[in-house]
Amino acid sequence: MTVLQFENVSKIFYTKTQQTTALQNLSFCVNKGEFVALVGPSGCGKTTILSLVCQLIQPTSGKVTLASPNGAVGYMLQKDGLFEWRTIEKNIRLGLEIQHKLTKENLDFASSLLRKYGLEEFKRHYPQQLSGGMRQRTALIRTLATNPELLLLDEPFSALDFQTRLEVCDDVYSIIKRENKTALLVTHDISEAISMADRIVVLTKRPARVLLQHETHLQKYKTPLERRESPTFAKQFELLHRVLEEAKS
Amino acid sequence: MKKTFSLEHKAFLKKQKMHTLFVHLSQVGVLALLLALWELLAHFEIIDSFITSSPSKIAKTLVELVGDGTLLYHAWVSTLETLAGFAIGTALGYAIAVVLWWNGFLKQVFEPYLIVLNSLPKIALGPLIIIWAGTGKMAIITMAVLISVVITTISMLNGFCETSAEKILLLRSLKASRRQIFAKVVAPSNVPTLMATLKINVGMAWIGSIMGEYLVSKEGLGYLLVYGSQVFRLDLVMTCTIVLCVLAGVMYAVVALLEKIVAKNYT
Ligand SMILES: Nc1ncnc2c1ncn2[C@@H]1O[C@H](COP(=O)(O)OP(=O)(O)O)[C@@H](O)[C@H]1O
Ligand SMILES: [Mg+2]
Repeated sequence: MTVLQFENVSKIFYTKTQQTTALQNLSFCVNKGEFVALVGPSGCGKTTILSLVCQLIQPTSGKVTLASPNGAVGYMLQKDGLFEWRTIEKNIRLGLEIQHKLTKENLDFASSLLRKYGLEEFKRHYPQQLSGGMRQRTALIRTLATNPELLLLDEPFSALDFQTRLEVCDDVYSIIKRENKTALLVTHDISEAISMADRIVVLTKRPARVLLQHETHLQKYKTPLERRESPTFAKQFELLHRVLEEAKS
Repeated sequence: MKKTFSLEHKAFLKKQKMHTLFVHLSQVGVLALLLALWELLAHFEIIDSFITSSPSKIAKTLVELVGDGTLLYHAWVSTLETLAGFAIGTALGYAIAVVLWWNGFLKQVFEPYLIVLNSLPKIALGPLIIIWAGTGKMAIITMAVLISVVITTISMLNGFCETSAEKILLLRSLKASRRQIFAKVVAPSNVPTLMATLKINVGMAWIGSIMGEYLVSKEGLGYLLVYGSQVFRLDLVMTCTIVLCVLAGVMYAVVALLEKIVAKNYT
């Protein structure tokens, strides 16, 4: 089943001084249960793609189809975007509040996520009392609380230092897998993409088109760290790196 | 939470504490020194205490005025006017800022007017206020409101517009309405802005009410000040000034305390 489909999507931005073609005839899809990574050079239009999925902007031409269109998308941003004035528990309820879904059932689901992922004891804490990794986990759980069909991750680890990034990457990956979510990750980091995704869509520089689709075949490894240590990782990295370098030139 | 400090840390903390104490003592010392100098100069008639008054005279006047209730009455009148102007000015300014944030078109249209109004010395509107609002309390409160409302609108609107774009994006991706965006992100992230504005408005409201009293009043500290200067009772003028300082200081301290309590989780 296809959760998300882009068909010949183009997006042109107009400003006072110029027009920018961010996407041109872009087509790809995400299937249910899949973990897809979009990889492309900075400024190629990755965030634009996610904005289109959320319907924050409309395509100039072409069609974006979401299987279940009403509010079924969870967007996780680069910075964790936690609200400093809310406790962890209240942060996690944000989506439910906005969508008027504060039912007993949904609140219980949110609490169960807190418990399951070790945030129960911090639920009355404020975000600034938590470490970077914990904050990122909170942000992910906030996104999961509305039980979205599709998760969008926009370079979610790029604000973290390298060591934390590997840990948080493992953490986020295992939560997404345990909750059986379909995910679309956007990144310019090839190794991150290989270590998490089932399928990688490589984009050209702006205007973004699909350059290559690549299956990682690493599902048998449990965590991104194990994937990084798998025998084919280096080869895959080399391949994608070369393709991306060509795309940049 | 219990913490144990090392000896060096304790020594460091003690040194800091001593330093703070020293600063406070110096502050009191400066005041005492000035008062003593003032008193001595007046006593030995090096300065003319008829136009400068002196601490002892001020103290005597203060006791007299407090004794017969005059001072408390006038201070009370001014405080009420100020509080009214402060509350109305802040609320009105906040409301206008919300409207302008809500509707980008209105914001674009009215921004230049706000800037002009902000630069205008409000005292120039005194004659108009008297004609429109009469010569009673209404005129004084109107003055206090006028002085605080424009600056409140400008600083709140600035704060609203600088709300983290990322947080707003997050809410929009959840399909939040504009009302929800305001209630869930814009208003809470601008609690610190509001607190800073309240602090500014303490001063603004006092300027407004005292200026208003200069213009129209038959009571209040501003009236007492004008009266004192007209009959050349400098001790009265000085006493009123000091009382004013204390009142404004107390009001500021209350707002600062409020800020400490309210804004602690809004960094
Ligand atoms: N709202 C906008 N108005 C004008 N240009 C935009 C807008 N959003 C993005 N762009 C332009 O589109 C291009 C792609 O941006 P973006 O999707 O943010 O890239 P990426 O996320 O891959 O780094 C950039 O050149 C950017 O300047
Ligand atoms: Mg981006």
